[in-house]
Amino acid sequence: MRVSLEWLRELCPVDASADAIATRLTGLGFEVEATERLGDGLEAVVVAEVLASRPHPQADRLTLVDVSDGVARRTIVCGAPNVPAPGGKVALANPGARLPGGLAVEARVVRGVDSAGMLCSETELGVGDDASGIMILDADSRVGAALADALALRDVVLHLGVTPNRPDALGLLGIARELAAALGAPLRAPDAEVAALEQGRAANAATSVEVLDAARCLRYVARVVEGACVGPSPFWLRRRLRAAGLRPISNVVDVTNYVLVELGQPLHAFDLARLRGERIVVRAARDGETIATLDGVTRTLAADDCLICDAERPIAIAGVMGGGDTEVRGETTRVLIEAACFEPRAIRRTSRRLGLRSESSLRFERGVDPNGVDRASRRAAQLICATSGGRLARGAVDVYPRPVAPRRVSLRGDRCRALLGAAVATGEMAARLASLGFGVTRTGDTLEVDAPTFRPDIAREADLCEEVARVGGLDAIPIALPPLHEGPRASGDALLEAVTDALAAEGLDEARSLAFMSPQDFGRLGVTRPDPRARCVTIRNPLGVEQSLLRTTLLPGLLGAVGRNLQHKAESIYLFEVGRVFFATRDVAPDERRHVAGILCGVRAGGFGERAEVELADVTGVLEGLAERLGWTLECQAAKETLLHPGQSARVLVGGEGRGLCGQIDPRLRQRFEIDRPCFAFELDLAGLPAPAPVRMRELPRFPTIVRDLSVIAGDHAWGEVRKTIAALGVPHLEDVCLIEDYRPGQGPRSLLLRFTYRAPERTLTDDEVNAAHESAVARLLASLGLARR
Amino acid sequence: MTEDLGRLVHEAEEALAAASTDEAVRQVEARYLGRKGALTALMQRLGALPSAERPAFGKAVNAAKGELEAAAKRRFAELREAALAAEFARRVDVTVPGRRRRVGHIHPITRATRDASAIFGELGFEVAEGPQIETDFNNFEALNIPKDHPARDMQDTFYVEGGHDLLLRTHTSPVQVRTMRSRRPPVRIIAPGVVYRRDDDPTHSPMFHQIEGLLVDARVSLAELKGVLLHFVHRFFGPDLGVRLRPSYFPFTEPSAEVDMQCVFCRGAGCRTCKQTGWLEIAGCGMVSPAVFEAVGYDPEAVTGFAFGMGIERIAMLRHGVSDIRLFYESDVRFLGQFR
Repeated sequence: MRVSLEWLRELCPVDASADAIATRLTGLGFEVEATERLGDGLEAVVVAEVLASRPHPQADRLTLVDVSDGVARRTIVCGAPNVPAPGGKVALANPGARLPGGLAVEARVVRGVDSAGMLCSETELGVGDDASGIMILDADSRVGAALADALALRDVVLHLGVTPNRPDALGLLGIARELAAALGAPLRAPDAEVAALEQGRAANAATSVEVLDAARCLRYVARVVEGACVGPSPFWLRRRLRAAGLRPISNVVDVTNYVLVELGQPLHAFDLARLRGERIVVRAARDGETIATLDGVTRTLAADDCLICDAERPIAIAGVMGGGDTEVRGETTRVLIEAACFEPRAIRRTSRRLGLRSESSLRFERGVDPNGVDRASRRAAQLICATSGGRLARGAVDVYPRPVAPRRVSLRGDRCRALLGAAVATGEMAARLASLGFGVTRTGDTLEVDAPTFRPDIAREADLCEEVARVGGLDAIPIALPPLHEGPRASGDALLEAVTDALAAEGLDEARSLAFMSPQDFGRLGVTRPDPRARCVTIRNPLGVEQSLLRTTLLPGLLGAVGRNLQHKAESIYLFEVGRVFFATRDVAPDERRHVAGILCGVRAGGFGERAEVELADVTGVLEGLAERLGWTLECQAAKETLLHPGQSARVLVGGEGRGLCGQIDPRLRQRFEIDRPCFAFELDLAGLPAPAPVRMRELPRFPTIVRDLSVIAGDHAWGEVRKTIAALGVPHLEDVCLIEDYRPGQGPRSLLLRFTYRAPERTLTDDEVNAAHESAVARLLASLGLARR
Repeated sequence: MTEDLGRLVHEAEEALAAASTDEAVRQVEARYLGRKGALTALMQRLGALPSAERPAFGKAVNAAKGELEAAAKRRFAELREAALAAEFARRVDVTVPGRRRRVGHIHPITRATRDASAIFGELGFEVAEGPQIETDFNNFEALNIPKDHPARDMQDTFYVEGGHDLLLRTHTSPVQVRTMRSRRPPVRIIAPGVVYRRDDDPTHSPMFHQIEGLLVDARVSLAELKGVLLHFVHRFFGPDLGVRLRPSYFPFTEPSAEVDMQCVFCRGAGCRTCKQTGWLEIAGCGMVSPAVFEAVGYDPEAVTGFAFGMGIERIAMLRHGVSDIRLFYESDVRFLGQFR
C-alpha cells in the first residue's frame, strides 16, 4: 500500500516528521518497506506569468514568450501550441535545472534568439502524462513560487506492508486511525455529506437493484449521477492518485479510485445509459458464461462466480473487474455508482481461478466493511458531482438484507496482563481500544468491547490483547524468562548427529541437496519396479519439470554435485549427505525415510604427495570408520546392485540387516552425469537404527596373546567368506582373525595372509595347546572351502 | 721383545684409526687386547725374559694395554660423534606440507541448527520432529488457516500426488500440531527441519530450513517470549545486540510479531545489509492462538503459550556473510570446505 503523507496528514493532522511517522507505523505492525520522496528535481522550476508572446521570426512553430518569475522579465523560446494569453501561469525551468525526466535545462540560442530557460509540460516535469503542450497552472498560483510548492508536489510516499488480516488498512482512513491512536492525534474522516447535492428524481426511480445471490453479495448500494461531463480530473486529484500508484483516467473513474484509496472501499462506475433495462441484477454465473472485461480480455466464468448483470447480460465480475461495454467513457452523462460488499472467499476463489487480481479483489477478498459501503458511495457521489458537474439523484438503492452488527468481545484485565506479562491498567486498556474506534464498556476488571465491523480480525479476547499491546508498543513489554523446566535435555537427533560427525571425521564434506529430482535424473538411474526407488512421489505443481519428483535416493544429488565440482577442477571430492527420501505407497501418506550416502571421486586425500586415485577400499574404509564410531557391526557382501559396477558392488548389512549398498558407481551411470572418473559410493537407510549409547568399558586383558599366521591360496573365495567360515569353526581361545595381506605373487592365484590371535582370559596359553587348536582349525578351514596352503 | 711391543702398539693404533665401525673397533680390541690377542701373547712370553727385565717389561705391556684400551674408547666416542654428525647433517625441509588425513567439513546449516538447538536446549526445549510431507490439516487448518484464506498467499505451497490434501510442509509449525495432539501440557519443544515453498531467487530457495519453538504451560507471557528470543540472539550472534518485536500477523498466533535484531554488520548504525534501518528481521513469533489450542484439544482457558519460527539459512547467512542462499545446496567443495 502506497501512502501519501500529504494525503494522510489531511486525515490525521500531525506535525511528526516522515521518519517519525514511518517508525510509528512500523511499530504498529505496518512495516515501512520503502520511502519515496516526490517533488525532488524541481528545485529550479518556478511559477511564471506570461506577459506577452509573439511568433519566432525564423520558425513557424516556435513562439517567443515573455515571462516574469516575479523578479525579472525574460524571453523564452517555446515550441508548444498552447501558450496562454498574457496573465496565464506556466512552469518555468531556469537554466541549471535538471528535470526528473533527465533533461538538463540551459540558456541557449534557438534559431538565433536567446532563450533563458524552458517552459515545461507535465511529462517533462514528471508530474503527469500530458505531453501535448506546456503545463498551464491555476490562475491563482503565486508567481515566483517553487513549482513543487505551488502544486503541493512535495510529498513522501511510504510503501507499507499490510498483513492480510487488516483490510481496513488498505484505505488511508484505516492507517490514519492507527496513527491517530498511537500519537493521540485527532482523526478527521472525510466529509461524505450529499444532502445539499441531491436534486431531481430519486435514485430508485432511475434504476433498481435485485440481488439474487445474497450469499455472495452482502450489500449493494447504487447511486445515480446525471448530467455528468466526463473529462480529465483536476490536478490535485490526479496528483494524489499518482502518489497512490494509480493512473488517472477520467474524473468519474478517478473518483472511484480515489475513494478506494481513501476509504478502502472498491467502487465501480457504470454508464447507466448502456445498462439494458437500466437496472442491476446480482446473480451467480452459469458455467461457461463469458464476459469481456475492461482490460479487453474475454473471461469464461463458472457457477462459483458472482456476476453483476443488467436486465440481460453480465456487466461485471463481482468484486473483481467491470465489463468493457458498460464502462464510463467520454460521452457518458449518466453514471451508476456501485458500492458493494461481497463475500471474501467467493471473490478470492474467482480471482484465483481467473488469474485476475485487481485493487478491488485484493480488498474484497480480505473483507470490506459492510457498514462502510454507503459512506463510500456518498463520498464518491459527492466528488463525482464536484468534478464532473453532474446532479445527484435523491437517495440511493441500498440492498442490505442482513445488516452486520459489531461483534462483542470481552476482555479481562487480569488475563490480558498475564498474557502480555505487562502491567497495563484496565482503564488504559479501555482507552487504547477506544482510540481505535472500539466501543468499550467497563465492568470491574472486565471490558465489554464492540469491535467495529471494519475490523473483521477481532474475534476473541486474544485479539484485543494484541490491540492493547500494539497501541502501547511492543517495546514497552518487559523482558522475562520462563521458569526452569525439568524436561529431557535437547539432544538433537543423536543418530544423525553421530553419523554426521563420523563421516566428517572420515574426511567427507557434508552436502545438502534439494530434495527434488528431475525425471531426467531419475531416468538416468535406470531403476524399475519392483525396485522401491522407482516409486517416486510426484509434485503436482512443481516450479519446473526438473523439480517435479521427490528423490528416492540421495545418489543423484551427490552425482550431480561431483559433476559440478569436476567442472570447477576440484581434485578430490569426498561428499556425504544425510537426508530424507520419499517413496510413494499404496497408503495415503508416502513413506519418508532417512538415508545417508557418500561419494568419493578423484585423488585420495588430496594432500601433498598423494596422487593416487580413490579406489574401492577408500569407500569401504569410510563405512568401517562409520561403523566403528557408531558401534555397528557392518558387513559388505558381494552382490549385484543396480547402480554399481558389477565387479565392485556390495550389499551393506548393519547388525545383520540389509541397509543399503556400497561400491563403484556403474561407469555408464556416472557418464550420464558427465563424470569421467571413477566414483565410489554408499547409501544406507538409517530408519530405526538406534542412537549410539554410552560405552560400557571392557576389562583390559591380563594375559598375553599367541599369534599364528597362515597363508592360503584363496582363488575366488572372498575374505568375508573365509572369515565367516573360521568364525563358524568354534576354534578354542581364538580371539580374532584378521587379514594381513591380499596378494597375487607373479602370475599365480590370489593368496591371503591371515593372522590368528589366541588368548585365554584367565591364564597364559601354552604353545602346545595353541598349536593343537590352530592346526585343527586350519585343517578344517582348508577342507571346508577346498583351499590349499601356500 | 720391546721392539715387538712398540711395533704392536703402533700397529694397533693404526688399526683403531682405520676402524670405521664399532664392530671394526671391537675386532681391533680382540686382536690386540683379547684373551688371544697379541698383547696377551706377548705377556705370555714374559717367562722367556731374564727375570731382571720381567717387571719392567710387564709394566710396559700393561701400560700399552691401558693406552690401547683408552684409544679404543676414544675411537668409539669418535665414531658415535661422527655418526651423530652424519645424522645431523641429514636435513629435511621442514616447510614442506605435512602428510595429511582428509579433513571433512560439517555443513553450515547443520552447524547453525545444532548451535540453535543447544541454546534452546539449555532453556529446557526438547527437539521434536515430523514428516516433510504433511496433511493440509496439520500444515494449515489446525493452524487457523482455512481454505480460501488470504493467509495462504503468504506461503506458496507444493502439493504432492497420492491422496488428496498432501503437501510439502511450508513451515515447521505442523510439528507443533503433532506434538500437542500427542501429549498434554506443559510442552517445551523446538522443531528444526526442512520446509518447502514455491519460490526461487537469490534470497529464496524452494527448499530451506526452519527452527520452530513452542512453549505451552499454565501461564506463559509475551514478556517471556521476548526474553527467550533475546537470550537466543545474544548467545547465537553476540551479547550486545538489541532485539525488537514488531506487530505482525500469523493466523496461528495472537498477538503476532516479527522479530528484528540489531544488524550484526553495522551494530545498528545502518548499512547495506540492513537497508540502512539498523535492523534485520530474523523470526516470526507470537502467543499461540486459542483457535490452535482448540484444534489440538487443549483448553485455551487453562493454558497459554508462545511459538516462534526462524529461517536457519537466514541466521547462517548472517553469521557467515553468505549472500546467495543457493550456495547452501550446490555442494560446491570450495564453499563447503570453508566451514570449520
